[in-house]
Order: sequence, then C-alpha cells, then structure tokens
Amino acid sequence: MKSATCGILAAAFALGPLAAAADSPLGTDPIRLVIPFGPGGGSDITARVLAATAPEFCGPRIDVVSMPGAAGLEAVNFVRSATPNGHTLLVTDYGPIVTSGFIDEVDWEHSDWQPVMNFTEWLPTVYTRSDHDIQTIEDWVAVAEANPESVTFGHASPLGIVHLPLVLFEMETGLQNVHVPTSGGGETRSLVMGGHIDLGMTLPASIASEVAAGDLTALGVFASERSPALPDTPTFREAGYDVVLPAWLMIFATDEVPSETVTFLQDCFIEALASPTAVAMSDRVNAGISPLNAEESMELYMATVASIGSILREIGEIE
Amino acid sequence: MLESFVEALALATDPWVILYVSLGVFMGVTLGAIPGLSGDMAIAILLPIVFFLEPASALGLLTGIYKGGMFGGSISGISFGVPGTPGAAATTIDGYQAKLRGYPNKAMHTALYSSVIGDTTSDLILIFVALPLAIVALSFGPVEFFALYAFALLLISALTKGKVAKGIAMAALGILLAMIGRDPIGGSLRLTFGIPQLAGGLALIPVLVGIFAVSELILQLADAWMRKARRIVEDTKAKAEGLFEDYDAKADRLTWREFRGTLKATWIGTGMGTLIGALPGAGSSLAAFISYGLAQQFSRRRQDFGKGSLEGVAAAEAGNSATSGSTLIPLFAFGIPGSATAALFGAAFILMGMTPGPRLIYDHTAIIYALFIILIYANLVNLAMSKVLLPVYSKVAMIQSRILLPIVCVLAIFGTFAAGNSVVDVWVMLAAGLLGVVLRIYGFPLAPLILGFIVGPGAERALRQSLLIGGGDWMHLLSSPIAVGLYATAAAMILLFTVILRDRTQPPKPATGKEGSP
Repeated sequence: MKSATCGILAAAFALGPLAAAADSPLGTDPIRLVIPFGPGGGSDITARVLAATAPEFCGPRIDVVSMPGAAGLEAVNFVRSATPNGHTLLVTDYGPIVTSGFIDEVDWEHSDWQPVMNFTEWLPTVYTRSDHDIQTIEDWVAVAEANPESVTFGHASPLGIVHLPLVLFEMETGLQNVHVPTSGGGETRSLVMGGHIDLGMTLPASIASEVAAGDLTALGVFASERSPALPDTPTFREAGYDVVLPAWLMIFATDEVPSETVTFLQDCFIEALASPTAVAMSDRVNAGISPLNAEESMELYMATVASIGSILREIGEIE
Repeated sequence: MLESFVEALALATDPWVILYVSLGVFMGVTLGAIPGLSGDMAIAILLPIVFFLEPASALGLLTGIYKGGMFGGSISGISFGVPGTPGAAATTIDGYQAKLRGYPNKAMHTALYSSVIGDTTSDLILIFVALPLAIVALSFGPVEFFALYAFALLLISALTKGKVAKGIAMAALGILLAMIGRDPIGGSLRLTFGIPQLAGGLALIPVLVGIFAVSELILQLADAWMRKARRIVEDTKAKAEGLFEDYDAKADRLTWREFRGTLKATWIGTGMGTLIGALPGAGSSLAAFISYGLAQQFSRRRQDFGKGSLEGVAAAEAGNSATSGSTLIPLFAFGIPGSATAALFGAAFILMGMTPGPRLIYDHTAIIYALFIILIYANLVNLAMSKVLLPVYSKVAMIQSRILLPIVCVLAIFGTFAAGNSVVDVWVMLAAGLLGVVLRIYGFPLAPLILGFIVGPGAERALRQSLLIGGGDWMHLLSSPIAVGLYATAAAMILLFTVILRDRTQPPKPATGKEGSP
C-alpha cells in the first residue's frame, strides 16, 4: 500500500553510545545510512546491525533512514545532493542504482558512485510448494520445454534482483515462462503456497525455515556456490546452467567524497562488523554479513554494471 | 502446555511489560490522532529497540502502539474530519458529521467500544482458529482479490443515495490517481508527465490528508474570512468568543440505549474486519469501507448514514480494528506478512532471532503465548486509557476553529513530510487539498475516491496477474467459485438495495450545507 508505513527511522533514536571518539575525522554529526526501501526488509535489518555497532569505532551516531519514494530514486537523489562529507551514505542492492541508472532518467552516471564496502551477497533462489509436480531444476526445464509459457513464475520488482536472474536463465536456455510480477516477497510466497502460481524467486533467509520444515522446496540457487542457509539446494551451475547473478548489498558514497574519508569509513565499518556484538546480531537475524572492502566492492560493482547492462541490452530495455 | 502457559503469563504480566504496553497505547493513541502519523510509523521508528529490550517488553510496546494507533486515527477523524490513519478514513464519514452536529464525545465513545470489541474478537480468532482461516486466506489469489476489490468499489460507490453516478466517477478518479507512476507489471512510467518525482506514484498519506484535511481547512478558512468580510461591511459586533464554541458536554454522553443500537453494526464490522484482515494485502481501510457499506445496507436507519450515524462510526471502526489480530494470522501460519503492520511485527521477530512461520509457536512457545496474552489485555489497557483521554480529546475537538485550524494545518504538513521524508509529498498533499475543495463544492462524495485510490494498485495488479496466469482469457476471472460468489453478491445487493427496497427509504431531505462532504 504505497509508502503508508515508510517512516523516519532516524533521529528520534540516539541509541549509539555517545562516547564518540573526539578525534574522529568525521566530527560528531550523525552518519545517515539512507535505504531506498521500506523499513523491516533485509536491507533495513542489515543496515541496523551496522548502525548499532559502528559508532564505537567510527565516532558519530549512525541513523538508518528509509526513503522508499519514487521507487527508491528519492533516496538515491537525496544522497547524491547531500554535502559530500561522508555523513550521508546510500545502502542499496543493485536495483535502484545499477538497473535504475540504465533505464530511468537520472542525472548521474554509474561512475559517479564509489562503494564504501559490501555487506553480503544474496543468492536469488527459485522455490515452489513441496507438493508441486516440479521439484527440481530438471523438472522445470522438462515442463517448460514440453509446453512453453505454461509455467507461471512470480517475482517482486520487474528487472530487480529477484527477476533479472530469471531473464538471464531464459536467455541462456531459450525457455519461456509466464512472468507474474508481485508487490513483494510476501505476495509471491502466498501465491505460491496458495497454488495460484507455480514457481517464485526469493532470497534464502526468507524461506529457509519452511524448506527445513518440508512445506516449500528450493529448486536451485543462481550462484557459484550453495547458500549456507540452504545447504541441500543445488546451484543452477551444478545442474549445468551457467547462470550466476548474486545480489549484493553495498554502501555507496558519491565520488565527490574524499578518498581518505571513504577509507576511514571502510575501516571502521569493517572493524565494527567483525566485533563479537555485530557477529552475534548478524547470526541472530540471519543477515549472513561477510564484508568486502572498498576496492573489492568496486570490482563487484563494475562487474554488475557490465553484466546487467548486457542483459538489459539483450532484452531490448536499453540501446 | 499448561506449564508454558504459566510461564507465558508470568512473562506477560511482569510490571515492566504492563508499563511498556501502557506507554505504547498512549503513544499509539496520540500519534494516531495526529493526521499523517500512524501507529505503523511509530513501530517502524521504534523497531531497533527490540535489539535492546526483553522480547516480552518489546512486543508489549509494539502491540500497545499498534492498538492505540488503530483507535487514535478515529479521534482526529471525528474531531477535524481528518482521518489520522488510512484505516480511519471510513470512520471519518459519519464521525465528523457527528461532531458537526455537536456530539463528538458520543461518536468517540462509539468508536472506542466498537474498536475494542472488534479488536478483542479478532485476537481471540487469531489465537484459537488461526489455521482454518489462514487456509481460506491462501485460497485468495489474483482472481479472488480482483473480485473482492470490485465488490468493495461497487458497494461504496452505490452508497451515496441519488449519486451513484458521481460515486462511480469518484471511484474511477481514485483509481486513475493511483495509476500514476510505475506500471506494476511492465515497469514503465505512465501519467508522470515527465516529472521524475512522480515516478513512485502518489503516496497514500499525502493524498488522504490533502483530500480530507487540507480541503476542510481551506473551506473553513474561506468561511471564516467570508464572515469577517461581511462583518466589516455590515459593521456588526462580533459576539463574545470563548475558547470553546457552543458545546454542551453533558448532553454529549453515549447512553446505554445508543450503545446497544450500534452493536449490530459493530458485529458486522468485526466479522468483515476479521475476515478481510486475514487476507494478505487487503488492509484495514478496505475492511472499514466494506463494513461501513454492509452496515448501511443492513441498518434499519439507513437514512442516517453520512449524517453522523453512530452505527456508521461503529461499523467502520470495528471493521478497521478487527483486522489487527487477524492480520497476524498469515504471518504465524505461513510466515507471510499480510500487511505493513504484520511486516513490521515480522521484522521485530527476526530482530529477536525468531523466524516467522509455522515453527514459530513451537520453537518459541512461551514468548508467543505471552504475546497472545498481551494482545488481549492491551485492549483493556486501550479501553481504560482512552476512557481517561477521551473527554480531553472531545473538548479539543470543540476548540474554536481559528485556534485549531493552524495547529491542524501544521500537524498535517509535519506528519505528511515525516511519513516519507519527502517534500514532494507535501506538494501532493496541497494539490490534493485543492482537488478536494473543488469536489466538495460540486457535491462529489469523497469516500469512493479514497477507496478507489487505496484499492486501485491492488485491483490493477490482481486483474493483470489474473490475465497473465489465465493466458489473456477474460473468462479466467470467473474461474473461481469465490470470485463468482463475490460478483453475484455484489450484483444481488445492488439490485436489492437500489431497485427493490427503494420505496422503503425516505424521500430526500433538502440539502444541508454539509451534505456530500465525507
């Protein structure tokens, strides 16, 4: 229901210890982690682990601000137009920054952003009911080959992180499925469980317990290695389809932020996430945080820009 | 079983937990009463606190806020004609009319009692019959949802007597406004006229606050200026004005007889609210509007609806509040968050290291039982605290508008901005206000517009998903018995109440100044 619940997740909450290191190059003004999604989702929860633990290492308080307006572009533009001093950062998956940078009319380029660090890699996973005829990647391919456009496939946000892997898979295999966009992971799941559609795509953490309980079956993961949350689920690569499109969750600064500030943030964020408190929190919320530094993140970011660009060109979304 | 119940009881009745529940209810009622701010928002802001509080305290606080906010939205709806939360939009239709007729206290008490009755019943259903209802909820797919939305739109559009055409036109306009932004299926932009800020569509809060609140403010201001201007021309003396307008607090008490008269409407609202609340994605506003529509159709005093009917307030508020327990059913049964609030509760569970879903109640029996106990007694806390607060709030409602209006105006702008951290939303709100003024002047009903706007995206998505799944065949919309049943009921009701029973309704009264406003 639009942004009825989107909230200021911010200022009211000075939870971080105020024992700010006075010698922090960032001073005492709070750092804002702006997320282009509503509160309560995976990005929000992951960002909060950092917000709760990093002040001790970085100095100032950290607020998580949710701005889902204009399909996330409002958050991106907000960070873009903020003073480039490292106090306003964007936390996003590739949808609002890589995909939007290609298909939406924006006044920035992909190269106008620099990653500070990467939290995690999410592995898009195809799943269905455990009493459905299709139970493996091979079953799916067989049905789709026998009857093209007979399998209905639900996914959130067109061209986002749980849709593009399907597009890529179809490009590789030539299979055709009926794509049914939904309002989010919750709706996809209720359509799958209610028998209204055949397959859906989501991230492992949100179905792990149902898969363990035997209510849902995870067919396969679009990644180079299996997901720790779903150790029994094969990758598509294992099944012989080289389709790998993991989704990352990265912190970005604009390229105008001085590199020493970015380096400082990278160091203190990664240090904070390695602290016992952060590790315990990450385990508790199943966030699977394993940080990459700015340089590694940059590599991953540019690779994603290239691969998504080629998918979008192939399907005719861009020239 | 008994052992975990005792453990849960100990958790739930810990003095600190009771304190947090009370604090939550107070915050919820107060925030809910501010147009634009809602309980959901407060929960979103306070979500990180679950990292630091005991699970029972955290859940108590969130539950309190949620329940308080559910009811609080009706306070500003009744007082200022501004639904404090989207769910209270239907309560506003009759609630504000009741206030204009000088009995805000009656309306607020009706809202409170029906809210508590609806909420408690819904909680009991969550606790005892969650699973069967959850299975019904899962059988609602795109085909069934589209039928439900169509049913709701027809019902509300046909409500305004003698203005069915205007009602349908307004519902259509609401759907059109909801279509601005990104196409939910193809992802392309539409109706944005090249304005990038409209890419995400119009948000609900600014449209709601604009249509109801800003238009009311503008009209009242115009009225006040007109009187002042006339006074200057005629050089008459203003009568002595106190803080309060002419208001008889003694006459404005809800009697037992009046309360009993609203019970049927309350139970209609409770039933519909519980059912619709359990459907993932349907939402409390839809439940409130459908309850209101049905209560009117089945009322012996239909002609009073829209003119300050306490039955109208009771049905809408019971329908709104009765979603609160059942909205958690899909979350507990399948781990599916059926509403924004359920999503936030789901996030709270995750932050506490508990994964929502069928295993939840087995893996964390004590804390879930404790939550059930809190859900029930938070209603009593809500009742008691609101009983204390209401006399104050209903007096506030009667404060001179020259004092009240600027305050409400500031709150509306603040609340709208805070809801999405967006300046664009404030402009949308002001534009919606101007639209509201025009529509009111020409006697268009506002409720169908709001309902159309609320269900528009869902209805469009459901229709297009149905057609995708059905391979483009429109007959697929009739492939489900539930959908056929809904269409048949809608058709039968409209026939029954517009053609067959037409003679029973009273001849139209001469239009009063406020008729046609929500």
